[in-house]
Amino acid sequence: MAARHVIVGGGTAGLNAILSIREHDRGASEIVLVSSERPYSRMVLPYYLSRSIAESHVFTAGPARLAQLKVQPCLGRRAVSLDSGASRLTLDDATVLEYDTLLIATGSSAVRPPVPGADGPGVHSFWTLEQARGVLAGITAGSHVVLVGAGFIAFTILNAILALGARLTIVEIAPQILPRMIDAEAARMVHAWLERHGVTIRTGVEVAAIEGDDGRPRLRLRAGEDLAADLVIMATGIRTNLEWLQDSEIRVNRGVLVDRYLRSNVPNVYAAGDVAEGPDAISGKPALHAIEPTAMDHGRVAGANMAGRELAYRGSLLMNIVEVCHLDIASFGAWDDPTAETVALARPERWAYRKLLWRGDRLVGAITLGRASDLWTTNDVGILKGLVQSGVSLGSWKAHLARNPFDLKPAFVAAGTTGRLLPVTTLGRPSVPAELVR
Amino acid sequence: MKVLRIVPQRCTGCMRCELACSYAQTGTFQPARSVIRVSPFEAHTSYAPYTCPQCAEAWCMTACPVEAIAISPVGAKVVLEDQCVGCKLCTIACPHGTVLYSAATQKAIKCDLCGGDPACAAVCPTGAIEYVEAEPADWLGGFAAERSERLRLAIAGTGGH
Repeated sequence: MAARHVIVGGGTAGLNAILSIREHDRGASEIVLVSSERPYSRMVLPYYLSRSIAESHVFTAGPARLAQLKVQPCLGRRAVSLDSGASRLTLDDATVLEYDTLLIATGSSAVRPPVPGADGPGVHSFWTLEQARGVLAGITAGSHVVLVGAGFIAFTILNAILALGARLTIVEIAPQILPRMIDAEAARMVHAWLERHGVTIRTGVEVAAIEGDDGRPRLRLRAGEDLAADLVIMATGIRTNLEWLQDSEIRVNRGVLVDRYLRSNVPNVYAAGDVAEGPDAISGKPALHAIEPTAMDHGRVAGANMAGRELAYRGSLLMNIVEVCHLDIASFGAWDDPTAETVALARPERWAYRKLLWRGDRLVGAITLGRASDLWTTNDVGILKGLVQSGVSLGSWKAHLARNPFDLKPAFVAAGTTGRLLPVTTLGRPSVPAELVR
Repeated sequence: MKVLRIVPQRCTGCMRCELACSYAQTGTFQPARSVIRVSPFEAHTSYAPYTCPQCAEAWCMTACPVEAIAISPVGAKVVLEDQCVGCKLCTIACPHGTVLYSAATQKAIKCDLCGGDPACAAVCPTGAIEYVEAEPADWLGGFAAERSERLRLAIAGTGGH
């Protein structure tokens, strides 16, 4: 009898796992996809918010594609419990699905702090498509939008809010913006850049309560005057969607703990994406990245192993890039490792900053800032990633980069990085054109 | 498949490839918008062009959240402009630094081998860029290491810092 794979979650990790299984078995197995929503890409929601793409553009695998991939969709349903001993999954309509392998790819959800009024009218999250629709409906030209939280997610929608003609204030409890993406010096530069572009930023400020009688929220701050808003977006973090695993045998920490094969402690149960805590490429230790590239890698490797491979994953490289008002901000790997040797250089006149983090003569992390129009600073984000990913030994180039951390290309090329990168593939073979996977 | 084989010893740094590439890709003669880039070595006494190796892993393609990068009939990884939203994920996923972002179109832009007739190879006057049957390879590493030796020695001599 054909193997039956059940995929719980139709986001990036789940879909990549499906594609990976089909790359390997060409349709020989049964795949059931359980997803509470019709599959779409969260990564492109900011472009939907700015109205630069239509809503239809956000959907990934539609009915035709799922049929072509021979996937039995079970959409609009949620998993509620897992009996991993009996390999049985129960859904919210009491359907019971038996499986040979199961993938946990239930992702994460936006959370709001326990502030009075944080769930009141006019207060939104921006994480799901439904929430994006709500935010879009609530913003008109001239609206005053208050973003609570200055993390990566907040920054991905900053351009869209401005493009809609809204006035924007950002309130962040930490002493700096983007505290989990860049260091304090880079944050100061981005802060100044945004103020120059008309964004009001208040760091080190805690929201005590959100009040509002007429649908216009009013933020009471611990210090200073109240902030009146037309719309508030709480970008105050995410948590993994694990509740349904509570009574299962699956071992969890902040996410589902998985090994190098993306396997949980139960051999036929895998986990991938935001919900999975898998090996980090630099430290080798379990990490919860909750980023798109990690979800893709996880999904592909888990899918290959579910289809019968024994494919060890090299680990996820932390990376983030976001552009705000035409300033590119990116960081990689161990960008905040206090034990790494560092070199940093700011070029304030070019709005450029670069920090390199070293272990011996190998790059383990980096931060870079630069205007999007400035080829000198933006062309080598990929090169930074290649140096960190390959772990190539840079020898005496390290001294060169200590003087000028922007002059990466000669070091990258002369160290033979290309030669180290080319033979390495995640699945142990060349990528297959998407249209050939079915 | 046919790939762009770079023979760096033949490059004179004339930048014709960048001009031709920008024209083929964007319809304008703007080397800044070219997706092949000539890099200087040895304090601007040597040059070599550098572009997408059309790698087997297709980091850019697998990173794209909306399948806006595909493999073309000639084996090039190509950006589908009407699908691309400009999120830049491919630009950081590509470890070769050869997926760029066009501020003009607000989309990713990269080498597509000009559909099988690459303009850079056609215009190179010295044969430093050839379009031939070969495996993607590190064409520049050895050359760059050799040409950088003096610079590296100079740095070592001053002890760096």
